[in-house]
Amino acid sequence: MGRRELKLLESRRLLTLLLAGVFLWSLSTVDWRGPLIHTGGLAAFLDFFASLFPPELSPGFLGLALSASWQTLAYAVAGITLAVLIGFPLGVIASGSVSGSPRTGLGLAVGVRLILAAMRSIHELVWAVLFVAAFGLSSMTVILALALPYGGILGRIYGELFNQVPEGPLRALRASGASPFRVLLYGRLPMALPDMLGYTFYRLECAIRSAAIMSFVGIRGLGYEIQLSLHDLLFDEVWTLLLFMVGMVVLVDLWSSRVRRSLVS
Amino acid sequence: MTFVRASLYGFVVLAFVSWAYILVATDSGSADIVLAKTWSNAGNFIRQLIGVDSPTRPAYLEVDRWLVTGRLALDTLAMSVLAIVLTGVAVLPTFLPGARNVSNGDLGGVPSRGGTLFYYVLRLAFTLTRAVPELVWAMVIVFFLSPGIVPGAVALAVHNYGVVGRLSAEVVENLDPGPAKALRSAGASNLQMLIYSIFPQALPHFLTYLLYRWEVIIRTTVVVGFVSAGGLGREFRLSLSFFHYTDLALLIMWYLILVIAVDLLSAWLRRLVTGKG
Repeated sequence: MGRRELKLLESRRLLTLLLAGVFLWSLSTVDWRGPLIHTGGLAAFLDFFASLFPPELSPGFLGLALSASWQTLAYAVAGITLAVLIGFPLGVIASGSVSGSPRTGLGLAVGVRLILAAMRSIHELVWAVLFVAAFGLSSMTVILALALPYGGILGRIYGELFNQVPEGPLRALRASGASPFRVLLYGRLPMALPDMLGYTFYRLECAIRSAAIMSFVGIRGLGYEIQLSLHDLLFDEVWTLLLFMVGMVVLVDLWSSRVRRSLVS
Repeated sequence: MTFVRASLYGFVVLAFVSWAYILVATDSGSADIVLAKTWSNAGNFIRQLIGVDSPTRPAYLEVDRWLVTGRLALDTLAMSVLAIVLTGVAVLPTFLPGARNVSNGDLGGVPSRGGTLFYYVLRLAFTLTRAVPELVWAMVIVFFLSPGIVPGAVALAVHNYGVVGRLSAEVVENLDPGPAKALRSAGASNLQMLIYSIFPQALPHFLTYLLYRWEVIIRTTVVVGFVSAGGLGREFRLSLSFFHYTDLALLIMWYLILVIAVDLLSAWLRRLVTGKG
């Protein structure tokens, strides 16, 4: 065992101790004086799971759940399309491959990467709460709130994918006198496109969840209906809506994983 | 490739229909963008955040306000640690039986009916917990648990159980079966094979996913705090509804400090886990 490995092993042992300490500290911040489960909590818990058998299945409510699912899907898709429009140009600049002079290219890339990091450091619902306070509640406000962090993550991933393409074809293009823009358009983009598509489809699934919780600022959809049913303690309705949520996510997941598999083959 | 092309066209159609629905059937507010009033409102909001016209000193210039809200930031950090530990503890014993090649005996070993059933139950649990967002879990969990950081941490853990559980199980499914089969042919039992071959191979991936999710979790703590009434989230909501905007600015600063700190810490720990330090 080399000296370096030994050092690594020691630092890992130290780290384990440190992490255990951090965990104990996190437990100590919990207020243990009051009961963890509140009075009636256990009964509510049992009631909640009992309501799954069966969930609310009346045709009227299924129709409501279906239209709520559509609303959530529409917000998610609109958010993702805007995020792609924001993320793509920023990703191109973040890859540092736009400018002929490496110094300006790099300077721009560092700046844009910071902007992308700032966009995704704030959760979409926190953006939404702030935007609603600033601009008032409307669907565009909420879609913008959704598109900012998603644009930030897409821009970062696109930038990384542009940089991960093999050098050979790019060198061939440059040797034949192509400008940096041409190298990007005919070299980097076609090679990175399959991974970009796969990742964007994967993000669509996350966007459905994010669109659902926009109910918190008052946007209609699955989250909104769940909130209403929880308010009235109608747990059987909550289950129906949760199952619609699960169904939608599973469908999009199946779609996106099939897209990714056909891209690989 | 035809499936990809069809999916792409399908998505474009879906995007058009979605945008049409939002612009026509909802209160889109797209006309507000050109209104001067919208922008003066937004400008006012920012001025209030900075506290330009406020008669009192802005909260973010007061040391004692920093200390009071710092306590909440610590609570929020504790919530995220609790959430990630709960997730890890729940995933650790279940990701191996949740992998197809472990349950069906592809890695050697005899598939049992109980094991197969357990596999389907776990996969269902991963899907159910993953599909529902953290905030919705939090809304449900506050019916059972007393308000504070615990219900928030549990809500975050429930959702992330599905995310990390599924990813870790997929890692096992994509593992090179060579080492396991070698152990097997050397006479190792089923359990020994799992403990000495599959588990050590999958562990670094599992830890890396867990650390990645910590970065997502710290961003979401504020959101679940809106309903679970723990940490920065509760105060965030209160400051907003009482129009204490400079307090809100201070809370946002703490939020950003936490996010940046956890991102750096997680990147450092990930390097340590993969041994490229």
